[in-house]
Amino acid sequence: MITAHIATQLVDFGSALLLLTCFAIVAQRRLSACVDLFALQSLFLAMTAVLVAYFTGIRHIYYAAALTVLVKVLIIPRVLKRVIERLNVTRELVMNVNVPASLLISGALVMVAFFITQPIIPFGHLLTRDSLAIALAIVLIGFFTMIARQKAVTQLIAFLVMENGLFLGATAATYGMPLIVELGVFFDVLVAALIAGIYTNRLQDAFDSVDTTHLSELKE
Amino acid sequence: MNWDMTTIAVSLLLLAPLAGGGLSLLLTSSRRLHLTNLVSIGLLAAAEAAVMRTVLHEGRVTAFDEIVYIDALSSVILFIIGTVGLACSLYMRSYMDEQVARGVIAAKRLNLFFFLFHMFILAMVVATIANSLGVQWVAIEATTLATTFLIAFWRRRESLEAGWKYLILCSVGISLALFGVVLMYYSSLRVLGDVSSALNITQLQQVALQLDPHILKLAFVFLFVGYGTKAGLAPMHSWLPDAYTEAPAPVAAMLAGVLETVAVYAILRSRGIVDQAVSPDFTGTLLAVFGLISFALAAFFLLIQHNYKRLFAYSSIEQMGLAMVGFGVGGPVGNFGGLFHLINHAFAKSLAFFAAGNIHRRFKTVEMDRVQGVMGVLPWSALALTVAGFALAAAPPFALFASEFQIISALGSSGLPSEWTTSGATLPVVVLLLCSLVAFAGFLYRLTGMIWGTAAQDVPHGEPWSVGHIPTVVLGSLLVGFCWILPPPLQKLLEAASLFLSGR
Amino acid sequence: MMSNHPIALAVALSIGQAVFLLALSPFVVGLIRKVKARFQCRRGAGLFQPYADLLKLFRKQPVVSTTASWIFTVTPYIVFASTLTAGLLVPMFASQMPLNFAGNIIALVYLFALGTFFLILAGLDAGSAFGGMGSSREAIVASLTEPAMIMSIFAIALTAGSTNLSTIVHRTALLEGIVTDPSPHVMALAALFIVALAETGRVPVDNPATHLELTMIHEAMVLEYSGRYLALVEWASAMKLLVFLTLIANVFAPWGIATAVTPAALAIGLAVYGVKICGLAVVIGTLECMFAKLRLFRLTDLLGVAFILALLGLLFFYILRG
Repeated sequence: MITAHIATQLVDFGSALLLLTCFAIVAQRRLSACVDLFALQSLFLAMTAVLVAYFTGIRHIYYAAALTVLVKVLIIPRVLKRVIERLNVTRELVMNVNVPASLLISGALVMVAFFITQPIIPFGHLLTRDSLAIALAIVLIGFFTMIARQKAVTQLIAFLVMENGLFLGATAATYGMPLIVELGVFFDVLVAALIAGIYTNRLQDAFDSVDTTHLSELKE
Repeated sequence: MNWDMTTIAVSLLLLAPLAGGGLSLLLTSSRRLHLTNLVSIGLLAAAEAAVMRTVLHEGRVTAFDEIVYIDALSSVILFIIGTVGLACSLYMRSYMDEQVARGVIAAKRLNLFFFLFHMFILAMVVATIANSLGVQWVAIEATTLATTFLIAFWRRRESLEAGWKYLILCSVGISLALFGVVLMYYSSLRVLGDVSSALNITQLQQVALQLDPHILKLAFVFLFVGYGTKAGLAPMHSWLPDAYTEAPAPVAAMLAGVLETVAVYAILRSRGIVDQAVSPDFTGTLLAVFGLISFALAAFFLLIQHNYKRLFAYSSIEQMGLAMVGFGVGGPVGNFGGLFHLINHAFAKSLAFFAAGNIHRRFKTVEMDRVQGVMGVLPWSALALTVAGFALAAAPPFALFASEFQIISALGSSGLPSEWTTSGATLPVVVLLLCSLVAFAGFLYRLTGMIWGTAAQDVPHGEPWSVGHIPTVVLGSLLVGFCWILPPPLQKLLEAASLFLSGR
Repeated sequence: MMSNHPIALAVALSIGQAVFLLALSPFVVGLIRKVKARFQCRRGAGLFQPYADLLKLFRKQPVVSTTASWIFTVTPYIVFASTLTAGLLVPMFASQMPLNFAGNIIALVYLFALGTFFLILAGLDAGSAFGGMGSSREAIVASLTEPAMIMSIFAIALTAGSTNLSTIVHRTALLEGIVTDPSPHVMALAALFIVALAETGRVPVDNPATHLELTMIHEAMVLEYSGRYLALVEWASAMKLLVFLTLIANVFAPWGIATAVTPAALAIGLAVYGVKICGLAVVIGTLECMFAKLRLFRLTDLLGVAFILALLGLLFFYILRG
């Protein structure tokens, strides 16, 4: 009983750390710092996954955690760093929604997430008190950040943050998806990040900028 | 014996595009690439026919330890993938070679095109026959990744922009769908336990009544928003017109005809599970309301288009909206109409994009005002455009008229599902009819302007017969034919699928 | 609880804590400087350099501007006294402080605010341009940090069911009668950490090591002070830093603190406390080397984060209990 209690606490603690980095990303303007924060968040995610795997004894979550470290902590941040270096953009100067307002909205989104998942939390397993709500909150904040930012790279990071939220939800609420699905998701995310990386390069060549406000040639 | 035949057919479904794609990467000559393509897609279509036959006899097919699950509904989608895929392959025979000859596409990038095309088809097949909702999600996300480069294949500024929008919007949308899948798994875990089959359609359908309705509702909302983005439902449709305009014509035909259909299939699949635990009115209302909004919105956007590819793109949103209304209203008639509409739309839209591709190559513009006298310049394409235009406007001798009629009559007899509203049948029917009238007028006005008149002097006249014209003739005759009589196997398949969708 | 102690013991504990606070605070400043120096590949001044600085300043004659009023000369004493009093409210090595009847977190916040208020007045009072600039900046920072600080502390107060610092620390240390959900704690901790950096004028809000007029906040405000006045202000700001570190260490991880007044418990409490504070000081020194100072107009971003996190911490409590 005591260990179950501690397990809940630890997993919740990990989820809270993920949410914390999420806010840091929302407030951060420097692109490379955003990438670092994303890597940190992914590391927290892997940590949480390992905790869940340890307490539930489900083997394949370990694999998922290892894949997280490999793909989201090592490969993708490195690719993104290279893209940023090549693009010669360091920070986001103009945003569609400024930082303080973004923070307020993100806070509101967390509330929304909690109220949406409220009806289903009591049915949860012992390990997951508010991880599912936090996962949804991270997804929503990632979604919002995507709208609020203009640089292609930040939008990509926001997308990856959404993925992290989804993965947290899958790990915390359902102890991981079936292995084949998890592998597929990792593959998709990796390929999506690589494609988007190639794309930003091409956008840079074609538009001399990766500011997505320049993408306005196609109109009604 | 029969079982073995089915297993072979199912493996062929997967192996044909996989091998075709792999071979394409190794080949360089355009003739061999086309040959590989035609053979692999032909095999795919043959395998689909075999699978359909088994489904008709046995009701459903499972293979490879229940990894693959095919019932009447998935067979209908497979039928669309196979037919449109084959039509596109034939069309590409003339289309791609001319693009290479004109230097729009470098000859050495041709194999990349075919590779991506095969991966695109493979992903859609997997999404249709996967038993696991998770694998289905992975496959649908894979379609996004495969098509992103196809859309931006011309590497112009506009196509890069369209490709980026497509990638970002669809990936985000589909991420929300993944949350829906997670929730679905969350609900089934408590009933089925932590087994990898807990996301399987076959398992979920059996235990659907024991699943928690709260979680299922939430899951369906996320799935609907996610896959709805992919299906181009308003208000998440903004990627669609750009992508269809910039994509090469065969790719646009596949996107409009097949990819949207697969996304709708994914929604219907999870709906089949959710509806058992939750009142069907909940999912029905979502589908019908968003379908109606998409239909009405697109009908008016049709009027202000100056670009014929965008015109067809908005028409896609409109037709998908209509099919959604059909599914939302439900019942045997509504569901039958919806499925029938999906098939007809796939045919008409690929026909339209084939014609549009021909016109674009000859006139070198997508502006409707600068395209005149297609009848004199490209008689075959003009005919195809007329047929497609009338069909998409749902004029009587074409099959879309029949399906639209079925949907509207279903709506008229049972009204909108009443989860939130208590509206009668009259208002939505009137709105639907008015909007289709607007769309009809807009379509015909625009297309007659293109077809008749005199072309500019510098446009070369004449259109020699080529392989690429076979699919246009076949699709055109199918569109007319389906209005009067459906082939009995297809009829039976559609009836079985609509019965399944009606929850019987 | 207070009544359990003989009066003499209570007085001894209070005096002990005050002496401890006064004696230890310059050391923490020195430790942070040393860590920073090491990161910058310098040997740096000795750990006890701040003591020498204070001694030197106390020996020097203060110079006071002719335009300055009594506020200017009174401020250092008020700041020093209010900070010292605030320090006595926070349990350092024993969870049951003799002054715990007054050890309210609201009192703590207002004692700090009092010191800040007088510093702002004094900065204006001297009539120099820098002082005014520093004051206005300090006012901005203070007005942004105060809500975040109050809310993050409230979030913790709610989980422990008391606004009394001693009670909060005592209950958390014994893990009884508190809500142990980590989410509110994590949020509040992050918020309070940012607040601590802002309130004590550390990087990335302010840089205590620079006297560059464009960027300084606290240093600009106290630029006119010299001699023993400056010594008092410096000492007070060192104490403020220590109090904040103590607050973070003992509210969020009070384990090891002496929950009973026995020599053994007190000795362990002292040792653990020393380790915790040194650890935090190293963390701050490391952070100061990793990050650059934010532009003044970007401060709202950082403090906005603190505010939202504190708010969430507060709301999490209600959601999780509700």
